[in-house]
Amino acid sequence: MSDAATLESFRLADSFLPVGTYTVSYGLEQFIQDDRVDDAADLEALLSTYLRRQVGPAELVALRAAHAAATDGNLEAVCRADQRLSAVTLAAEFRESAKQSGDRLLSLQTDLCDEALLDRYAERVAADEAPGNYAVVLGVATALADVAVRDACLLCCHGFVTGLLGAAQRLLSLGHTDAQRILNDLQPVITAAVEESADRGIDEMTPFAPLVDVLAAEHERAERRLFAS
Amino acid sequence: MAADAPHPAFEGYATEAVPQAAVGSPGKDGVLELTFERTADGTTLVHDYATVPFHVSGTLGHDPHPDADTVFVQSPTGGIAQGDRHDVSITVEEEAVAHVSTQSSTKVQTMTCNYAAADTTLSVGTDGHLDYVPEPTILHADSRYVQELTVDLAPGATAVVSDVVVPGRLARGERFEFERYLSRVRGTGPDGLLFEDATHLTPGDRDPTAPGVLGEFTVYGTSFVLAPHRDEAELSDALHAAVTDGEARAGATALPNGAGVAVRALGDRAETVQATLHAAWDHARQELVDAPAPSGRKY
Repeated sequence: MSDAATLESFRLADSFLPVGTYTVSYGLEQFIQDDRVDDAADLEALLSTYLRRQVGPAELVALRAAHAAATDGNLEAVCRADQRLSAVTLAAEFRESAKQSGDRLLSLQTDLCDEALLDRYAERVAADEAPGNYAVVLGVATALADVAVRDACLLCCHGFVTGLLGAAQRLLSLGHTDAQRILNDLQPVITAAVEESADRGIDEMTPFAPLVDVLAAEHERAERRLFAS
Repeated sequence: MAADAPHPAFEGYATEAVPQAAVGSPGKDGVLELTFERTADGTTLVHDYATVPFHVSGTLGHDPHPDADTVFVQSPTGGIAQGDRHDVSITVEEEAVAHVSTQSSTKVQTMTCNYAAADTTLSVGTDGHLDYVPEPTILHADSRYVQELTVDLAPGATAVVSDVVVPGRLARGERFEFERYLSRVRGTGPDGLLFEDATHLTPGDRDPTAPGVLGEFTVYGTSFVLAPHRDEAELSDALHAAVTDGEARAGATALPNGAGVAVRALGDRAETVQATLHAAWDHARQELVDAPAPSGRKY
């Protein structure tokens, strides 16, 4: 990749990126509330499930499709991947979180870059013709910045894990070293999730984590909560 | 590649010849067709066609809804065997109200080659209602089973579609010994895809009891309460409240594209998961057709 593409990928992977990562926990808050996660080992095991069962078989498949479509300048295919990802994301809070962070990233990218495809996609999202999921916006943004699709997938997983580790630090007494250790230990899981998503078309998005769905449903009705999901 | 494999994961199995009656021979390719219509006497089963292993011995009139009709599909066989390919089509025409279930659990037998598959298409006409609530699917050791279910809703149509999977003959200590289970449920409406849910379990490759997947639970079920013209947030809260008291761990969430609500339930026994989903069904039915759900009793 060119220096510009590499730097762009660093920028998009940074927790400094203002997309509201600090507001989402994707059900982690409820897992902690329910005493299912109370140390670093539990957290790492749950994050593995998220990567292998949710991010890999759904978000990454959508990201890949969006990346390929944006490379071809095919807005319709971007929107199809976007709609498909929403249709297979059954937990209402997860759809809402993915839409909100997607919306923030899309408005940021349209401000920063002068790309007709981004502007047209943003119009579709504004008109409610496409949901604007984070993984899809990220796929478009990385494709337009010439970030290779595999790197874009790794970046997406890295961002997801660091976001949830940040949430965990506020919900659990998780030290910085533990957080870094989990991030390091999850590298092979991230690679596996990225590889498993490689040959799937948008009709083969199959996220499967029923207990996550049930706890997310409980989180929707939780009385005290720090996070939107 | 074998031509009839419904999913790449099943292509290897499809190439394996079945030593008993071959794929497609009589008894292996069961077909079930049911069509319900609204008539002056309420809902009537106007078309039914069933080949082995399906059997329909008429309708039952015990539904608490005055205009509803009920079919319990029977099976004269011991369950689903390797090489079976089943095709089910159920149509509920305009303003009809129908309930279709099975008489007992569907047992997917142990396999040494090939796989079994079921393709189910449900369609509900304008202002019609269908309850498709079969008994659980039990996956015996070494079974390989793929089911695809599509439910299509016309404007104003509603449906409750349930699916419960039991990962083995639990009473004899068999659990998660099947080889592969893939179940896809897809909802469509006048504007196309509303939602899709997939369950893909391969216990030999990936631990289904991982945290966040099934955790400490064994039996897993989902009820889709489909009502695209209703306020799904309100229905979701009401259904969630209806399922949280039960023995199973359950929750309700609004489906994408305003399709309705999904209720997921996890438990240790089929009965607890079914009871919890029945509570959701009962509430949903009162909301949707103003009548309680029929009791789950089949004998």
